[in-house]
Amino acid sequence: MKKSNVLIYNIAAVIIGLIISAAMLLFMHINPITVIGEAGRKILTDKYTTGEILVKATPLIFTSLAFAFTYQANLFNIGAQGQFYAGSITAVSLSLALGDKVPTWILLIVVGLGAFASGALVGALIGLAKAKFNANEFLVSMMSTYVVNAFMDYLLRTVLKETKAEYLQTDPIKKSAYLPKIVNGTRIHLGLVLAILAAVGCYILLYKTPLGFRIRAVGHNPNAARLGGIKPAKIYVIAFLIAGGMAGLAGLTEINGVQHMLLQNFNSSIGSFGIGIAILANGSPIGCIFASILFGFLNVMGTTMGRLPGLKIPASIIDLIEGIVMACVIMSYYVRSWADNRAQKRNIRKAGE
Amino acid sequence: MAAAVVEMKHITKCFAKVVANKDVSLTVNEGEVVALLGENGAGKSTIMKILYGLYSLDEGQIFIRGKETTIKSPADAMFNGIAMIQQHFSLVPVHTATENIILGNVKGRIDLKKQNRIIKKLAEQYGFDIPVDVKVGELAVGVQQKIEILKALYINASILIMDEPTAVLTPQESDLLMMFIKEYTAKGNSVVFITHKLKEVMEVADRVVVMRNGVVVNTVNKSETNEHELAQMMIGHDIIPAERDTKLDYESLPAVLEFKNVTLQPKDSVPVIDNVSFSVHEGEIFGIAGVSGNGQDELCDVLSGIRPMTSGEILFRGKSMRGMSIRERIEQGMGYVPVDRYRDAMEMDMTLSENILLKASFAPKWVNKGFIRKKALDAYTQEIIKKHAVKATGPDDLARSLSGGNQQKVVLGREVDLGTSLMVFNQPTRGLDMGAVDRIHKVILDEKENKKAILLISTDLTEIFGLCDRIAVMYKGKFMGIYNNGELSTAQIGLLMAGIEEGAA
Repeated sequence: MKKSNVLIYNIAAVIIGLIISAAMLLFMHINPITVIGEAGRKILTDKYTTGEILVKATPLIFTSLAFAFTYQANLFNIGAQGQFYAGSITAVSLSLALGDKVPTWILLIVVGLGAFASGALVGALIGLAKAKFNANEFLVSMMSTYVVNAFMDYLLRTVLKETKAEYLQTDPIKKSAYLPKIVNGTRIHLGLVLAILAAVGCYILLYKTPLGFRIRAVGHNPNAARLGGIKPAKIYVIAFLIAGGMAGLAGLTEINGVQHMLLQNFNSSIGSFGIGIAILANGSPIGCIFASILFGFLNVMGTTMGRLPGLKIPASIIDLIEGIVMACVIMSYYVRSWADNRAQKRNIRKAGE
Repeated sequence: MAAAVVEMKHITKCFAKVVANKDVSLTVNEGEVVALLGENGAGKSTIMKILYGLYSLDEGQIFIRGKETTIKSPADAMFNGIAMIQQHFSLVPVHTATENIILGNVKGRIDLKKQNRIIKKLAEQYGFDIPVDVKVGELAVGVQQKIEILKALYINASILIMDEPTAVLTPQESDLLMMFIKEYTAKGNSVVFITHKLKEVMEVADRVVVMRNGVVVNTVNKSETNEHELAQMMIGHDIIPAERDTKLDYESLPAVLEFKNVTLQPKDSVPVIDNVSFSVHEGEIFGIAGVSGNGQDELCDVLSGIRPMTSGEILFRGKSMRGMSIRERIEQGMGYVPVDRYRDAMEMDMTLSENILLKASFAPKWVNKGFIRKKALDAYTQEIIKKHAVKATGPDDLARSLSGGNQQKVVLGREVDLGTSLMVFNQPTRGLDMGAVDRIHKVILDEKENKKAILLISTDLTEIFGLCDRIAVMYKGKFMGIYNNGELSTAQIGLLMAGIEEGAA
């Protein structure tokens, strides 16, 4: 299978998904062409809105990496949301404690390391459960999200509670703890660069180093890897540790780059979208960057539509579009393998004649 | 001339990657045994699976008793009186013989006692002695095969297809099977016998259809041919038996591998390796013969380090292997070619050079500043490809894209370089074509020349007799004795493989 073919199928799937979504608008007695045109014009002409695409994409790159990385070891990390929350808790706590007390760059490094470490800890525990007790990592990681979420709620009601004690949220962090903006007139921050570096780093680790090789070897065939002297149990822990760290870093970018505080149900769907994005990217870390940007775009498109004056488009249109596009992408995999099989058969019959 | 019961005309079948059958035509007459002879991958099983409705044909026609018939499923085939015994039996292990036989052929309330009686009577007609109410999983393979045959008899099948039926049987069990086939066909039924063993063909067949690379190369009457001619048709060229040097006093040479009373006994079960002792010396090929499933695979598991033994001692160059990790064993110079390369030796979806790296991912040789030395690795892989005549375009080929024989050559190339003092082969030529087998035998003999100690586990007696210096026969986890090559006749080893001691007299 050529890589270009994968790309064509993915693009086609996304376009079909958008067409179906647009057709849905007809049911609401809205002319999809004018709406999409309006929203598109807004995105293209307004620099701030354009920038929002990358702002939304940043945490998605991290959470999709969190899925894609373990996917290479043939493990399913469904718990990126929880690992992200663990990172967020650490990021906000450290930022509140150190804000205005140490130079920004030291604070950001400390917060970054802390966010990575706490996500990694949650991940490593899942990997350990798999390695030691052969627990189903799918279920364990999925449930871990609820545990971390409950823990976060507990902290928001107790030690991290805002001084006004009005809402379930923390105090805002100090300006000096913000991730610096890198493009004026937008909200794009340093986190984007960090996310791209993380994706490239994951790629290099997986494809250029012996450790990454071992992770992939265990993913493809754990029996053969084991006879090759590799310990699959160890690999499970390492893969989950790194994946968890990736999701944890999204805590840094969202707390210090965007929200500047932690609140209940914070970005509650970036974990699940990470899974879909990683599948769209076929598990490739570099692909995660582009797939995340696409979903950033869809998100901004939806938000913009919902805000168009006078049309009363429900805000949930975002979920609708993203959901339909995701379904189309996943279906395209089946269509592709079917077409692939047929094409190969045809080639062979031709060669046989 | 007897009437044709099955005529397959110009059948073509393609899979996603290969042409399995190309313009294959064959006829089966009433009361006749047709042997379908060919190497592994010649397309024998495919053409019969088409007849049995497991695969659909791409082109061609099938006539059953002169009438054109479409066979879409095994149910269609059975309706037409065709039954097939697969290489891997299709029995439900937790059901009894009776339950397996009536499966799919009964409706409503089942009177099991009555069915048991019917099955028992049916079995007696053919002189089969089977326990009808014991779970099939607890029975020996030979008995399981009889149950498969009874399944066919139960539906009154008149055309019986058998796919490599003797692969799992002892020589004695095979003889019984041959007797059954003769009796069955004498009643006007027909048998298609898929095999790659010439001896069986000469013993049982009336007509021989020889296949190679998906086409029928020849159809001959058995009375008009001989083993040598058939071998030539099957392979396409003559095989020169690998040469081996004669008598050597192995006991005086240093022992590389020593097993001392090694036992492996899983919890709540009989020992699968039972008090086994032997030694393999420098430059010696030590063979372990036996029907598969008698503890050979477990012996390899213990030796390679994936399963700890229950008791005993294994010494590698005088050092105990107890507690040695798999990685340490590799680093100490033990090469291992497992029986199932798909499961244990290869990463099918990775490249050839990655497969070469698989067992050396910790070796400093392939790492520079934390990165894999891709260029050096590719160069080394290319060297292996050349040295072992692997048919591949280069080190970046996916392992999956190679044929079985070429995959095995890659594994072999990797292992012989890693196994600097000991090589363990578990059925290294299973399922390979003659060309690849020949090549692999040469490599094994070369390694012997290099003064490596070699442990060769095989179910193929030709291989055992052709290569080994000393031979042990394994039966139910025990060694039936260790003999010098030449001491045993085929008949004797056959008895030992069936667990009968006096055979070695």
